[in-house]
Amino acid sequence: MREMIISELSQALYELARGFAHFLPRLIVMLILISVGWVIAYVVKVALRSVLRLIKFDKLAEKAGASQLLTKAALPSATELLSRFVFWVAWLGFILLGVSVLGILGLQEQIARFFLFLPRLFVAIFIMFFGMLAASFFSRAALLAAVNANVPSPRVLNLAVRSIIIIFVLSIVFEELGLAQHTMLIAFGIVFGALMLGLAIAFGIGGRNLAQRFLEKRFVREKKEEENEDELSPL
Amino acid sequence: MPLNRDVFWYKDAIIYQVHVRTFHDSNGDGIGDFQGLEEKLDYLQELGISAIWLMPFFPSPLRDDGYDISDYNAVHSSYGTLKDFRKFLQSAHDRGIRVIIEMVLNHTSDQHPWFRESRSSQNNPRRDWYVWNDTNTRYKEARIIFLDTEKSNWAWDPISKSYYWHRFFSHQPDLNYDHPAVREQMWKVMEFWLEMGVDAFRLDAVPYLVEREGTNCENLPETHTVLKELRRKLDEKFPGRMLLAEANQWPADLRPYFGDGDEFHMAFHFPLMPRMFMGVKLEDRKPITEILQQTPEIPPTCQWSLFLRNHDELTLEMVTDMERDYMYDTYAGNKTMRLNLGIRRRLAPLLDNDRRRIELMNGMLMSLPGTPIIYYGDEIGMGDNINLGDRNGVRTPMQWSGGRNGGFSIADAERLYAPLIDDPVYGYPAVNVLRQAETEHSLLYWMRRIIAVRRSTAVFGRGSIEFLYPASHRILAYVRQLGNETVLVVNNLSSTAQAVELDLRRYKGNILIEMSGKNIFPRVSDLPYLLTMGPYQFYWFWLRRI
Amino acid sequence: MTRPQKGRVAARRTGMNLAEDSFLTDDFLRQLINVGEVDILVGLPTHNNAKTIGSIVQAIQSDILRFFPRERAVIINADGGSRDGTPELVTGVSIDDIRPASSLNALRTLHSISTRYATSPDSGVALRTILSAAELLRAKACVVMSAESANIESEWLAKLLRPVYRDDFDLVTPTYRRHEFEGLLITNLVYPMVRALYGVRIREAYTSEFGFSGRLGSQFLGQNVWNDGAGGAGVELRFTLAAIRGGYRICQSFLGDKDHIERRGAELVPALRQTVGTLFSALEADFPVWSNVAGSQTLPTTGAERKVLLAPMRVNRKRLREMFTTGIAELDSVFQLILSPSTLAELQGMSRLEDQEFHYSAELWVKTVYEFTAAYQKSVISRDHVIQALAPLFRGRVLTFVTENRDASADDVENNIEGLCLEFERLKPYLLQIWKSRE
Repeated sequence: MREMIISELSQALYELARGFAHFLPRLIVMLILISVGWVIAYVVKVALRSVLRLIKFDKLAEKAGASQLLTKAALPSATELLSRFVFWVAWLGFILLGVSVLGILGLQEQIARFFLFLPRLFVAIFIMFFGMLAASFFSRAALLAAVNANVPSPRVLNLAVRSIIIIFVLSIVFEELGLAQHTMLIAFGIVFGALMLGLAIAFGIGGRNLAQRFLEKRFVREKKEEENEDELSPL
Repeated sequence: MPLNRDVFWYKDAIIYQVHVRTFHDSNGDGIGDFQGLEEKLDYLQELGISAIWLMPFFPSPLRDDGYDISDYNAVHSSYGTLKDFRKFLQSAHDRGIRVIIEMVLNHTSDQHPWFRESRSSQNNPRRDWYVWNDTNTRYKEARIIFLDTEKSNWAWDPISKSYYWHRFFSHQPDLNYDHPAVREQMWKVMEFWLEMGVDAFRLDAVPYLVEREGTNCENLPETHTVLKELRRKLDEKFPGRMLLAEANQWPADLRPYFGDGDEFHMAFHFPLMPRMFMGVKLEDRKPITEILQQTPEIPPTCQWSLFLRNHDELTLEMVTDMERDYMYDTYAGNKTMRLNLGIRRRLAPLLDNDRRRIELMNGMLMSLPGTPIIYYGDEIGMGDNINLGDRNGVRTPMQWSGGRNGGFSIADAERLYAPLIDDPVYGYPAVNVLRQAETEHSLLYWMRRIIAVRRSTAVFGRGSIEFLYPASHRILAYVRQLGNETVLVVNNLSSTAQAVELDLRRYKGNILIEMSGKNIFPRVSDLPYLLTMGPYQFYWFWLRRI
Repeated sequence: MTRPQKGRVAARRTGMNLAEDSFLTDDFLRQLINVGEVDILVGLPTHNNAKTIGSIVQAIQSDILRFFPRERAVIINADGGSRDGTPELVTGVSIDDIRPASSLNALRTLHSISTRYATSPDSGVALRTILSAAELLRAKACVVMSAESANIESEWLAKLLRPVYRDDFDLVTPTYRRHEFEGLLITNLVYPMVRALYGVRIREAYTSEFGFSGRLGSQFLGQNVWNDGAGGAGVELRFTLAAIRGGYRICQSFLGDKDHIERRGAELVPALRQTVGTLFSALEADFPVWSNVAGSQTLPTTGAERKVLLAPMRVNRKRLREMFTTGIAELDSVFQLILSPSTLAELQGMSRLEDQEFHYSAELWVKTVYEFTAAYQKSVISRDHVIQALAPLFRGRVLTFVTENRDASADDVENNIEGLCLEFERLKPYLLQIWKSRE
């Protein structure tokens, strides 16, 4: 009986050793991949950082209003953030590649799916970024125009424009990422529709007087002004 | 070559204006004469002219260059005798050259026997042959013509103690055309010369023949009556002879002198001449086209006479004040050159001796509608001497050679009637007939050629004219037409090269043939016809449909 | 009619740099060939000006016949797609032998030609057309006239042209007699700023009528301003700045009363874009020029002394105050990016004051403007937004100016403007300082 146990034990040890021997090279390859990946990711990060600095990416981010958000969240500048993000994504990629070498079946599938997902993630980030930029720009344009045309409540207009654009952008992003597509679309539709309906009702009924005054100011302006004041010409 | 018998010879003529005194001296007294002139007829025949217009050569005290006549039926002794004249006349006719002489109708010299008699007493039979008055207040509206020398149109006669009327110099009393005897006598004078064979008269100062109170005493209907009578008699007895009017008036005022073809055959187109000079200086055709647009139609038997310069000053009477100032500033900067509302310079000095401009002006002279007159010496580009008082600067001796006295006379230089031009540019050693006749590129040669081209067709003398108005104002272009002969003339009035597009659609399908070189130019199509022209260049084109 | 053929701007610049730049139509070029070399060129940009153009071209024609009868002249009409027959009215004033006008005593032909440079007006393209024509025709003296002057008097043309033609100046800007409250953008911003920065006291640097020499015109034409998008509006200001920059001889000429055909005048924001926007965008490239200038020189001026017209004018001060206050309140987020904290705090304090105490001092205004200038240069936000944000602040300044000068005499108004100018000059170092910071 002792011999059976020893032979079984040695059989198990042997298999373990074999399994180990089978696994070890893969582990080494994985470690090598991870190290090499780190180096490559680092190089990419530095290169990207230089390029972003060259095209003054920070300025762009500032215009988008993203810089303000970042500083509030105590995050580093946009250039730095993006470079680091790219570094991590790259390295992660290599890590996952290394892990896939290990040959653990289920994992490989997941990894493959991850890599397929990556481009869409980038596009979504891209859309998000420029969406923010556009939201910032157009909302400010609306604000300035409203102020200069003496339209009441310009800030409301500013917020409204910004919100609409951001919601719109978000829904596109979610659609791109493939997350709750329909939900997002419907939600966007509902919100947007409700907003418009609300405004219509407000103008039509509740804001009746305001609308009246507004319209009067716009169209009846000429008669009034000729009676009461002279319009100065700036040039 | 005998004279052609055409009654309308004057429409095709090329006239050469010359004073016998200036041309050639045959007897060594320093003054040109008829014999000398006769000797030079070959030269004139070679030049190609077909008529000579002689300045006054009648006996005269010469206080107005012969326009103050003291005997209508003789020749001034300096120039020869009547026999000499007859001989010259015959020689001219033998060469096919006609002769036009001056006839001063309006006034005589105060040395004329008629005036001597008239002034001798108030009862003299010839008293009323002139216009006398006790006061000088009549005819106040009449202008003074010789502004630089005369202060009034009346002059006081100490002999008969009254005033006599004179539109010109005070030594040129006006004849009284209200007197039938005067009219009769003047016709007799003309008859005398006509019977001798003279072909035409240039009637001097015709607007002033008759005076009437309350008028400006110019162009009066009575004057026209007198002239029409003369013409009638002329046509009756001497068909084929011609009357040329000297009347410095606007074209509209000149028109009556043609009557209905029953008065003058020809008249000078005075207003055009300064405008040609103006157009070249402004580099704008506007002055030229405008005056021609304002020129009225004349009877089909009549003809305009065109000229660039003559023995008088370049008159600026028929231009506006602004135009006159412009002409003075650009052509006569030196005030000595100005006289009597005009400029007393010859053609070449006026154009800065620029050969191209001289050619252009002559080209226009030869191609515009009318009979061209060449002033003697301008065919070789003679210069002037503005320091010889009055208008004598443009009446210097003809320059025949670089030799003694320019070949004009064998007399001593001091005896010449006037000094020769002898500056380095225009002087007789540089500018003379002999050298130019030997050189193919000379102005004389060029003049011969262009006269020949002009004479090769009747279009220029007799044809109609239609102006083209290319958008470039520096180009003067017109079409001359007679029967089925059509000629296109294009002149570049500017000193710089130009590109011009002409609308020739009416002549579509015609080939252009340049008239002096006879080369073919492209055919006319629907597209604008592009011509590129050098400074002051001009083209004459036949339009041929082949 | 051939369609306009546009060519590309050539990289190679030769003496006659227009051979490659053919944005002129074939038809116009043919007309220019027919005109030939000229001494004087009158440029007239138009767009639906049939109401006023008749008397303007008559005045131009009579000025030419009276003061320049011997000169070769041409009128070039650059039309931006008029539909009311304006071009025909302009070309109708030409003098030639094709349609003889016996009533006129003219020595020469006067060409008046027209070209349609676009289907909608663009003052940049119009000016470029005129400058191109001037270069091709080798015009010695040129003048651009405005098609909107309802009360053009005779001699306006001569006054702008004579200094160029006879006295060899390169640029002649006009001065007018106008109401003290008209053109405040010019008197309170453009004039003082150009004066302080470029060192030249040009009253009307942004003007639609001016005289210039062929030299200056060719030089400006050769500069590559036409392709940077901003070339359209405000090109007249660029022209003036180019003259200053190039050290050309400039003078001013008093013309007369200035009156727009519509009393309502231009809208503020577009006006700001054309003037302030152009000025700000030019400052960057011109930095080497204006950073070295201190003080300012007066220009030779012909004609009567410029006087203001004092006529009672009712101004809606309440509205101005309102718009200023609203602007300060609502545009807070924008101003924080543009203005310095101290300036913004002062403005906010001001907006809380009572109407009688409200006072936008010269010094504060100058600081405001300079900070905007720096912000524009750095593009803290879109540049056009920077310009738009200035509008409510300008209104505040207008309010103060109008209040201060309500009962002032003509001399007092002038002194106040002079005081403002000196303030601009005094604070110039401040601008230089904030210009360079935050680089």
